[in-house]
Amino acid sequence: MTSYQFRWDTIPQNFDFLMSGMQMTLLISAITLVLAMLGGLVIALLDMSKYRAARAAGLTIGEVIRNTPILVQLLWVYYVLPIFLGININAFTALVVGLSIYSSAFIAEVYRAGIQAVPVGHREAAQVLGLSPSQTFMRIVLPQAVRMTLPPLAANFVQLIKYSSLGAVISVGEITRRGMELSASTFRPLEIFTFIAVVYFFICWPLAMGIRYWEGRLARR
Amino acid sequence: MAETELISAEALSKRFAANLVLKQVTLSVTKGEVVCVVGPSGSGKTTLLRCLALLETPSEGRVTMSGETISAATSDATIKRAAKAVRADIGMVFQHFNLWPHMTVLENVIEAPMRVRGADRASAIESAEALLEKVGLSDKRDAYPIRLSGGQQQRVAIARALAMNPKVMLFDEATSALDPELRREVLLVMRQLATEGMTMLVVTHEMGFARNVGTHVVFMDHGEIVEEAEPETFFTQPQTDRARRFLQQFED
Ligand SMILES: Nc1ncnc2c1ncn2[C@@H]1O[C@H](COP(=O)(O)OP(=O)(O)OP(=O)(O)O)[C@@H](O)[C@H]1O
Ligand SMILES: [Mg+2]
Repeated sequence: MTSYQFRWDTIPQNFDFLMSGMQMTLLISAITLVLAMLGGLVIALLDMSKYRAARAAGLTIGEVIRNTPILVQLLWVYYVLPIFLGININAFTALVVGLSIYSSAFIAEVYRAGIQAVPVGHREAAQVLGLSPSQTFMRIVLPQAVRMTLPPLAANFVQLIKYSSLGAVISVGEITRRGMELSASTFRPLEIFTFIAVVYFFICWPLAMGIRYWEGRLARR
Repeated sequence: MAETELISAEALSKRFAANLVLKQVTLSVTKGEVVCVVGPSGSGKTTLLRCLALLETPSEGRVTMSGETISAATSDATIKRAAKAVRADIGMVFQHFNLWPHMTVLENVIEAPMRVRGADRASAIESAEALLEKVGLSDKRDAYPIRLSGGQQQRVAIARALAMNPKVMLFDEATSALDPELRREVLLVMRQLATEGMTMLVVTHEMGFARNVGTHVVFMDHGEIVEEAEPETFFTQPQTDRARRFLQQFED
């Protein structure tokens, strides 16, 4: 170990290659976040539906997703789903779909918590003043719920940045995959994976700190 | 009497699971009256008020407003329509204010007049400013509720309810959540309202208010109305042991 010759110049030489992987990582995370916000809404609406069957469906979907490993879900979407549907799914699509489904289940909980955190008295005050149920939801519940929901959604984005590295397993060209390819051709895994870890850290860490500050401010409101 | 009767509970019972919380309560409030409801904790005062405010559905009996049924154990289209029509005529002030924290004081007050009564913004603001002046909070118009003391928040809540021009105001222990030194400012506003002729049903632990401002006192215990009298009579010559025991707590 002491005699190891660091070759940090591997990084600048392949900087563009690695950074295009990082762009891919962020693109996947962003698309997935948007899809998962919609998917989460669907699951949350099912969960809070007045129909028992819808609630059962929402609950089941949520429990299955939350209690199976995300890597298994990804592999399932990539290898099994195409057989069921009789279509071809490329690795990028499989990754986005798999991550979105996974994230939806957690975001549904975020929505539900946000809505439930609005004190029932706020709704009753609106009801007594004559606001209709939909006015009460749109004007009183939703604005408060959204405010409480934004920090956890941002936290989900951080999760997605990290989880998108699983795309490497199904050869999506995000930064981790790029690192694997590069280390196979240059035999410099130490420099490459250290650099990649540092890149992840300096993207995720400021976001996480910002979210913590943001949540602290909301809690004081 | 019957023509001026504004809101009333007729043989109202309320059950929460096996727990019978209101037992055949009959009570009516006539225009201009200030009826104060007193009684020990858990006697059903809040539940009665919530039934009148249409926040709870009675298990038996009914609620009427100006003679029309607005709430009953089994609701039909006529009752629902009547309830919808008068809902905003019944104002309620809660123990914990329940101001909407994402809106300023002014926005809290103009929300319902604009959305429910269809008032335009300018006139809603004009009325709201007059009401805030009345409760002594003109300078807090653009503040968020979190910046206000409890007493100030409760006065905003009163202004918010008044903005709908209610025919009757229900108060559920409006001062109980406040520090003693903040109660006075809220009680003064309530007193002023009474002086102006507002019809009020006031659940309170403030015996001074019941005695001095109330036109009528109702004493509840275990979900029943045990005594009903003029304030002076109730406080000086309570008729039942239960009322005497209750009043003893306030002597010192
Ligand atoms: N939503 C509910 N579900 C079950 N029980 C309830 C509910 N609301 C009230 N109760 C019960 O009904 C009884 C009467 O409660 P209520 O709040 O009406 O009394 P109160 O006279 O207002 O008391 P306090 O002076 O403490 O406010 C209590 O035993 C209470 O536990
Ligand atoms: Mg009560």
